[in-house]
Amino acid sequence: MIPLTYYLLLAGALFTIGAYGIMTLSNGIRLLMCIELMLNSANMNLIAFSTHINDASGQVFALFSIALAAAEAAVGFAIILMIYRWRAEIDIENMNLLRW
Amino acid sequence: MDPTLTAITTIDFRMYAHWIVLLPMIGFLLELLIGQYTWRKGGMFANLSIFGSMVISYGCLYNVYVQHLGFWEYSWDWFYPGIVAGFTVDPLSLAMLCMVSFISFLIHIYAIGYMGHDCAKHVYFAETALFTGSMFGLVLANNLLQLFIFWEMVGLCSYLLIGFWWHKPEAAAAGKKAWMSCAVGDCLFLLGIAIMYTIMAKHGVTTEVISFNQIFQHLEVLSSSVVFGIPALTIICILFMCGVLGKSAGFPLHVWIPDAMEGPTTVSALIHAATMVTAGVYLIARAFPIFLAAPHALAVVGFFGAFTALYASTLGLVVNDLKRIFAYSTISQLGYMITILGCGAVIGVAAVALALFHLVAHAFFKALLFLTSGSVLHGTSNTRDIKEMGGLLKGMPWTGWTMLAGALALIAFPFTAGYYSKDRIIEEAYVYATGHGSLGYLPWLFLVLGVILTATYTFRAWYLAMTGEPRSYLAVHPHECDWWMRTPLVILAIFALGLGLFTKGGTLFWHFLEETFVTATNTVSGIYPGIDLHEIATLGGNHLLEHGHAAEISPAVIYLPFFLMVAGLAIATGAYYRNRVDMSKYIKKENPLYQLLWNKYYMDYLFKDILAEKIIMTVFTFWDVLDRYVIDGVVNLMSWITISTGQVSRKIQTGVVQNYATAVIFGVSLLVILVKLLGGV
Amino acid sequence: MIGPISAIMLTLVVGAIITLLTNSTAQARAVAIVSSFIALAISIWMFLTYELNPVTHLAFEEGSANNWISSIGIGYHVGVDGIGLPMVLLATIVCALGTVYSWSESKRPNQFFALVLLMDLTLIGVFVSLDFFMFYVFWELTLLPMFFLIGVWGGPRKDYSAIKFLIYTHIASVIMMLGIFAMYYYNGINTGVYTFDMMTLLHSYPTLPISSFWKNFIFGALMFGFIVKMPSVPFHTWLPDAHVEAPTVGSIILAGVLLKMGGYGLFRVLLPMIPNASPYFIYALALFGLVSIIYSPFAALAQKDIKKLVAFSSIGHMGFISLGVAASVAAGLEGPRILAHTGAMFQMFSHGIITAVLFGSCGVIEHHTHTRIIDDLGGLTKKMPKFAILMVAGFFASLGLPLCSGFVAEFSILGGSFQTLPIFVALAAVTIPFTAGYHLWAVQRTLWGPYNEYLGDIKEIKWYEFATLAIWTILFIVLGIYPQPIFNMMQDTATYFITSGNILPIGGIPI
Repeated sequence: MIPLTYYLLLAGALFTIGAYGIMTLSNGIRLLMCIELMLNSANMNLIAFSTHINDASGQVFALFSIALAAAEAAVGFAIILMIYRWRAEIDIENMNLLRW
Repeated sequence: MDPTLTAITTIDFRMYAHWIVLLPMIGFLLELLIGQYTWRKGGMFANLSIFGSMVISYGCLYNVYVQHLGFWEYSWDWFYPGIVAGFTVDPLSLAMLCMVSFISFLIHIYAIGYMGHDCAKHVYFAETALFTGSMFGLVLANNLLQLFIFWEMVGLCSYLLIGFWWHKPEAAAAGKKAWMSCAVGDCLFLLGIAIMYTIMAKHGVTTEVISFNQIFQHLEVLSSSVVFGIPALTIICILFMCGVLGKSAGFPLHVWIPDAMEGPTTVSALIHAATMVTAGVYLIARAFPIFLAAPHALAVVGFFGAFTALYASTLGLVVNDLKRIFAYSTISQLGYMITILGCGAVIGVAAVALALFHLVAHAFFKALLFLTSGSVLHGTSNTRDIKEMGGLLKGMPWTGWTMLAGALALIAFPFTAGYYSKDRIIEEAYVYATGHGSLGYLPWLFLVLGVILTATYTFRAWYLAMTGEPRSYLAVHPHECDWWMRTPLVILAIFALGLGLFTKGGTLFWHFLEETFVTATNTVSGIYPGIDLHEIATLGGNHLLEHGHAAEISPAVIYLPFFLMVAGLAIATGAYYRNRVDMSKYIKKENPLYQLLWNKYYMDYLFKDILAEKIIMTVFTFWDVLDRYVIDGVVNLMSWITISTGQVSRKIQTGVVQNYATAVIFGVSLLVILVKLLGGV
Repeated sequence: MIGPISAIMLTLVVGAIITLLTNSTAQARAVAIVSSFIALAISIWMFLTYELNPVTHLAFEEGSANNWISSIGIGYHVGVDGIGLPMVLLATIVCALGTVYSWSESKRPNQFFALVLLMDLTLIGVFVSLDFFMFYVFWELTLLPMFFLIGVWGGPRKDYSAIKFLIYTHIASVIMMLGIFAMYYYNGINTGVYTFDMMTLLHSYPTLPISSFWKNFIFGALMFGFIVKMPSVPFHTWLPDAHVEAPTVGSIILAGVLLKMGGYGLFRVLLPMIPNASPYFIYALALFGLVSIIYSPFAALAQKDIKKLVAFSSIGHMGFISLGVAASVAAGLEGPRILAHTGAMFQMFSHGIITAVLFGSCGVIEHHTHTRIIDDLGGLTKKMPKFAILMVAGFFASLGLPLCSGFVAEFSILGGSFQTLPIFVALAAVTIPFTAGYHLWAVQRTLWGPYNEYLGDIKEIKWYEFATLAIWTILFIVLGIYPQPIFNMMQDTATYFITSGNILPIGGIPI
């Protein structure tokens, strides 16, 4: 059996990659993908702990959050599609109309 | 006897004294609301209501003087326990009432002719009715607060009537000046009433707290009160006197009276000669025992009065405006009345009687002089400068001869009213002087010097206006006044000449008035016993002469005023009767004395140009800057700080998603670390 | 069965909603006039049938403590006494005649009249609340209608003034709220009862064992809230700006009634707390009053805008209230203290009526001549003689002419206060000529003198303006001659305050 620590390390690594991506990338689709990465690292933690303490509710919760993530991704991509149609680009750094 | 007459003599008019006040007030309302639709477009209600008041006034006089029903006082509770609206009928108020109602009625009759062509006649009569009613209220008041209330109301009417021709800027400014000069005194008067209320309450008085008779009963305990380290009564009396200086045009608050001549001449006669300006004298007379019980108060009153008497008569010498000459003479004569009240520190209640007799006599002859000058103005298309008159006696004999009667009374020509009233005042001032060291001679000296000046300026005016050749086109064909105006002139002239004779040289009047404080006053619930003025006087450190033990005065002193009057008359005749003496070498710009008098001792300059326009204007401009830029500046500074902090800190909102995400991640990490460090979960 | 107070409030709410739904000036003003006059009728009925409950010293009490959100001690509790009822009467009189005065308002009439009715409602709410929560809610709600009245119907600088008015007084209210919360909290931990009920809190407050810092904090916070509203120099600068920009009826209500909230707070909330406060607060209150009295004539003399001049006159008159209140709680004889206290209460009512005439006159001048700059006016009597009578009456009443209600109040305050604060009274009295000065100078430059032909051909005052100003004028003259109905009602309450031990005398300067 793989120790819990390994799962957590993997999840941590995924999360860090996602966070790094969010902080540095400017392409909208890449941002969304990074968010997915972070979300899935959390899901992985849920499943790992669920197996570790022998409680299925964690896995149910993970399923639940996957469904949510799908919905969120759909909305996110739709927004990005609209932005693309409007401005013919999806560079987030140029989307700063709401600054001071 | 005729049964109707018998029925009238059984009426106790004293019970209806409040109607003396109310009738003219009703007249005021009717005149204001419907006056312009009635007889001669206004004047009917005012005349009728004042006639009604006059009937009740003389009824009261009959009750007290002939039927000996006693003095009477009654009051109703007003808004607070101890503060009342009350009316008092005693010789002092009766003397004033009868004078005011009679003179006011005559002047109202005169005004029917004089104001005949004015388009706002109903407003004029409404205001004079309100004035007369307020004056009655002032005279009848049995307490300080009510007196103050009507004191201000007569001031209001004076303001409105001076500015009756409101479209003239000078008239509007004169009204304001009158109110402002009086307001300076009135605020101090009000403060004095507040102090009086406080010390009366402190001594446990709960009913009729500031009623005169109640105060008189408590003078003994009140004299122990001290305010700001000074005897309370002295402070109160000085504050009252400030009010008097404002209303009765004492130095230095007299400056408004000459300007007040901008109003209709009937107003000058009614308000600024006969009645309102005597309110101050009446206040001191009414509160005489308080002044007597207050150390030093009467001495101050005497000096201010005497100084005013001399001061104003010097100013009368150089003015060329007919009405202003009489205005200065009014100030001067009021000074005589105030002086004799100040001499009350020695002669006691006789001072009140003498002051009131001169007040009444003055009211007759001064009202007469103003009405005749009104007639002159009326007949010469508003010529007011005596340099432009001359020879008017031919064109307007009624006016000219009645004015001569008034002038003779004013200079105290033998056997006229002024002779009995004024010369006696000067005599008593000498009695006062004999008891008060060398400084005590000052009031007497001022009064005596005033006599010669009075004779000179009065006859200067009369000669220049009435005799000689006309000096302007308007004076060539003056037209005599109509019968509405002529009748009051004749009646007033009879009284100006004969008042002394009618009252046996004033003695009837004096004996009646001398009963005022020493005789008991009846009220609904009880009786105020008469007070012992000798005892009261000792509270204030004064010593009264025993009654009937007048000091011996040498005949030289007694006849001195007469000779001085003759001298003054001689000077005026010499200089101005057909111009026998050339005055132009004295009356010129280079003469510093003339300059000083012509500029009224620079008092107007001091008050208007320096105090009002320089000092107060500067202060309030500065004040406005303070308000706008300092106090409001702090408020706006705080809002500026808030806004600029926001301006700086909103730069954090870059609008770039990555920055927000970075901030979130670092923030969460920081939170986790903090929780760990602080020993949390 | 609902009581008269709730009936007034319901009438005004319903009236405001219906007014909002109308779509013309005629309809809107009809609804507004009807509902505000119903409110006036009810308050007059209350005035005529007023009878105090001897135990609670309240009348027309409705609801009870903690009956609304009982878990945190909030209740619908209303009632009036000898100061609350005259204030309710004042609010209904001023607002009812104010709706008539705005007869021809044509800009968004439905919203305008609805806001006036809401103003009436919220002001009455302040004067009848016996629960601090309700009191505070109504206190804050008064800002909203006034904010919109200034911000929408105001003059050229309306945005600045409306926001300044809102934020300035709101900050003061928030500080006042902190004081209320502190009182709530300390009452709760000491007695175990957490309640916002005003009667309970004020009754138990003097005996609470609170550290002196918190005592002073609570007192100071409440006092600050009240004197900003009055307003007292130096916290007054919101007032002239708000007045200058507000529409006329807004100014009338603002000066006539809204300022009285501060004074009402002094009587209702602050006085029962005095035994527990530092005496320095009382001297501070007297000083604020005196400074306002001295400050206002000088500031008013400098004004070029007649409405701003009138606004400054309000500051001085409200200063008399602070002075009277402060003097009446210092050690001294009971008679003069009650006189000063009642005088301060009467000044609230009297000033409300007189200032309505003053601002109404400014409004008439503005509507007819389209200017308010005093130097541009002159000789208006020629064209508007009827108006001149009313304006002169108003200005003279304001400068303290006897036989007008203001004099009764001023004399009571000065006469009653001298025993405890002699120097203050002496200084207040010598400012009277200056007060007279700016009033007379304004009248002289506005009404007298030759007519300024640049103004063109102006019309005589309109009937609705004349009627409202005349009613107010008659009212203050009647109250100046016969003040007993209101004065004695206030005197009962003042006597109750002074003698019931609610106010413990603190050190004064005996003479």
